[in-house]
Amino acid sequence: MADPATPALDPRTRRWVLLSAGACLLPLLLQLPLLIAVTIAVSAVAVVAMSWRQPLHGLVRLLLSVALIATVLAMSDFSIGRDTGCALLAAMLAIKPSETFSLRDARSLLGFALFAPFATFLLDQGPLSLALGLAATLLALAALQLLADVESGDVRRDASPMQRIAGTARLLALGLPLALAAFWLFPRLGSPLWGIPERAMASTGLSDRMSPGDWIDLMGDDRPALRARFFGPVPAPSQMYWRGPVMWDFDGRTWRQPRWMPGWTETAVEPGPQRWDYEIEMEPTDRRQLVALDLLISAPGGSELDPDHNLQSLTQLTGVSRWRMQSAPPRRYEASLSAETRQYALRLPPNFNPRTLALARQWRLEAGPSADGAIVTRALDWIRRDFAYTLETPLAGRNSVDEFLFDQRAGFCQHFSSSFVVLMRGAGIPARVVTGYAGGYRNSVGGYWLVRRSDAHAWAEVWLRGRGWVRVDPTAAVAPERIYDTLDDRRSVAGGLLDGFAGGRSLIDVGDWLRRGWNDFVLGFDANRQQRLLRPFGIDRLDDRTLVLLLMLAVALGLLWMVWFSRRNEREPDPVLRAWHGLTRRYRHLGLERAPDEPAGRWVERVAAARPELAGELRILSDRFSDWRYADGEPGGRSTRALTQALRAHRPSPRNGNNG
Amino acid sequence: MVWTRPRDPESLPCVLHRRRIYVLPTRFGMFYAVLLFVMLLGSLNYNNNPALLLGLMLAGAGLASLVAAQMQLSGLELVAVDAEPVAAGTPLGVRLYARAAPGRVRRGLRLDDDGSFDAAPGILNLDRGSGESQLLLPTQQRGWFDLPKLRLSTTRPLGLARAWAYVWPESPLLVYPAPEANGPPLPAGHGDRVQARVHPTGDDVHHLRGYRTGDARRAIAWKPSARRDTLLVREFEQPIGAEVVLDWREIAGIGYEARIARLARWIDEAEREGRRYQLRLPGHAALGPDRGPQHRHACLRALALMPHG
Repeated sequence: MADPATPALDPRTRRWVLLSAGACLLPLLLQLPLLIAVTIAVSAVAVVAMSWRQPLHGLVRLLLSVALIATVLAMSDFSIGRDTGCALLAAMLAIKPSETFSLRDARSLLGFALFAPFATFLLDQGPLSLALGLAATLLALAALQLLADVESGDVRRDASPMQRIAGTARLLALGLPLALAAFWLFPRLGSPLWGIPERAMASTGLSDRMSPGDWIDLMGDDRPALRARFFGPVPAPSQMYWRGPVMWDFDGRTWRQPRWMPGWTETAVEPGPQRWDYEIEMEPTDRRQLVALDLLISAPGGSELDPDHNLQSLTQLTGVSRWRMQSAPPRRYEASLSAETRQYALRLPPNFNPRTLALARQWRLEAGPSADGAIVTRALDWIRRDFAYTLETPLAGRNSVDEFLFDQRAGFCQHFSSSFVVLMRGAGIPARVVTGYAGGYRNSVGGYWLVRRSDAHAWAEVWLRGRGWVRVDPTAAVAPERIYDTLDDRRSVAGGLLDGFAGGRSLIDVGDWLRRGWNDFVLGFDANRQQRLLRPFGIDRLDDRTLVLLLMLAVALGLLWMVWFSRRNEREPDPVLRAWHGLTRRYRHLGLERAPDEPAGRWVERVAAARPELAGELRILSDRFSDWRYADGEPGGRSTRALTQALRAHRPSPRNGNNG
Repeated sequence: MVWTRPRDPESLPCVLHRRRIYVLPTRFGMFYAVLLFVMLLGSLNYNNNPALLLGLMLAGAGLASLVAAQMQLSGLELVAVDAEPVAAGTPLGVRLYARAAPGRVRRGLRLDDDGSFDAAPGILNLDRGSGESQLLLPTQQRGWFDLPKLRLSTTRPLGLARAWAYVWPESPLLVYPAPEANGPPLPAGHGDRVQARVHPTGDDVHHLRGYRTGDARRAIAWKPSARRDTLLVREFEQPIGAEVVLDWREIAGIGYEARIARLARWIDEAEREGRRYQLRLPGHAALGPDRGPQHRHACLRALALMPHG
């Protein structure tokens, strides 16, 4: 309802306000599920169009709000959490323009609009969200400035939008040192005040299950999954297997991770001679799943290792997290298998994939009882000979493995690993599916390795007598280049956009390197990093009191900087004049400050009358100053600099020397 | 010594010292602060650094806007206040002149009173280094006008905080007495010289005008009045320069303030007719005879400053 007490908006101002609110809404919409985002965007456009000239009727507004909110709630399955909250905020922002006709309405709209970039950052911290969010914030502040002009009645028609934005950018820039100082020093919460709700809509990433077809999205997702920096030797590309969830349970369609009971004994690993020492930086996933190079030696603090060497963090990875790890390719991995585990690793669902099981039994008969290795080799040979790699696969029917092995004979890692494990289990060889990432792309600018979500991979592990679990990658048998090769190789095969010029690759490298710097300095900054902040200055531990004191100091300095910078334009640009003014001000405490309109000569005489003992030096300085200012430079050719220094050096003694 | 709030009227020019400028958040500023608080709490809880940085940047910009608001007023020089005298009952257009050193943007400065008059605010524009702003203040009685404390304020740049400073200029602003609405015409010219110049028959009719109480019976134009159904009075042409004496003592039978009102009206009438007039007030040397704005002002001023009876 337009408040009669606050002035109505003119159409031009209203357009500005609506535009900036829309700019704030945009990054948030990009993060919401497509259907909800489209619904809200369409409603927003419709509401703005309907209420372009005059406010909507109150009843219509109420109905619209109820309808849209109910729709959004229904679309997010009535789950109350961060995502639904963000969607509701976006929905309210979409409806609010229908009643924005006065200054006060416009301000409350902009206030809520400023919340939208914030909500966006809760969902996503990618560069696109950041850029859009920052631009939207600038626009919203510029709109606030316009509203303040409207309020004061002093609206400049001639001020261009760019000028307004520049004025706002100046305010932001003025506040930036303060914001940065507060960012580093603001006391962080060691543990959250309230729970972190799960994202209702899971982002693609490694999952605890694997069913046909659900990896297609993942394979097309070029966003980073993790970055790794090696200290010392770097594994060869064919060794870069980042181990994630291990799947044991198969129901004919879906592979699942087992639920490990507490107290499950740890498996014995005999590490080989090679060691890889590295740190990985996980992108946030809202899950607890971690990955490590095959095979991790021990779990880093804050994480736990399952018996099948699947690494999980103890807390959700809502932000960028860093893990220092050591891995070694094993010489022997669980050399003796308990009967229980063996039984578990051989289980198959009944009445599925009869052709595969028949083939497996036939191979076992032909190879004899203890020729597990030969069967593995035979399967790999067959796959290498008769199979092809493709991402275009038809939907699987009931006997998915049969269809793949005998009809299609083309697929990707998911099909290869799944079918291979079923074949092995059918032949009586304990086997399991391991998911994770394979390969990585070396960023030459930053000297680290980048693993993308599209590097997600599934391979198999079979248990062989005397050697324990052995990694077998049937996909690598068909298309090694698809697994180990770097992203830009794949790009050039596909004829990517950036192939046209030679700098494309390094441009991508620099971009990702900057992204990593942002991760390092901003996203990954937490209470621990804060504690280490002042170590270079000799302060080992920041206790809370010191932190708050430092923060207050920083705020005070920030305010001083603002005042100083705001007044900077008014400083006298001429150093001599500035020095002269400084000198005359030093007589203030004697009660002899020069009046602004008092000529230098007259002032000196006034000082001389009051304090004759001071007059001698002052008179010389004043003459020099007058000559410099009004005659052609100083007589005797003394430089401007010397005069400035002399003016600055002059100090009137506070006491009358004669009286002591 | 710089007072934060003027206790007594001060003489202009004066420079607004930063210590007499108040800065307080507006209601929208409070809303913004609550918003930032929620943002900071949320981002700390989720350990979300970009959101925290955004909140802190908004807070930084807000603080910078507070400083900017104060800087808009700080160092502003108020040069003078004046107003064309008006008759009591008519709004007085109080103008405030200000100037400022170049180099700082000062925009959207509002001038209003301290709330005692609820006048529509004026805008002070200092684009060319100096400017003026006018405030219309209602007047009730003749005499010196007690200027309220004037408030110079701004909510620029972001509308989050209002910076304001009171200024209470010591400035003699005069309010003339309100002229009588309806009254007798100017008294007849004084002395034989004047009378002699009037046409003896009195037929030299300049024009007819409506009857006003106090008009002489013989001046009524009966025939035209009968035609128009209203009483009309002959107004005789008075030669230019005919002097008229406006004497306090010759007005009798009405109250003290009414006398002042009648004299004020006669002064205006004499001015309009271009006649020279002399004002005689008790306890006051006779003013005039003269005419013209200067003389009018002297006479109305004397009337305005008559002791309140």
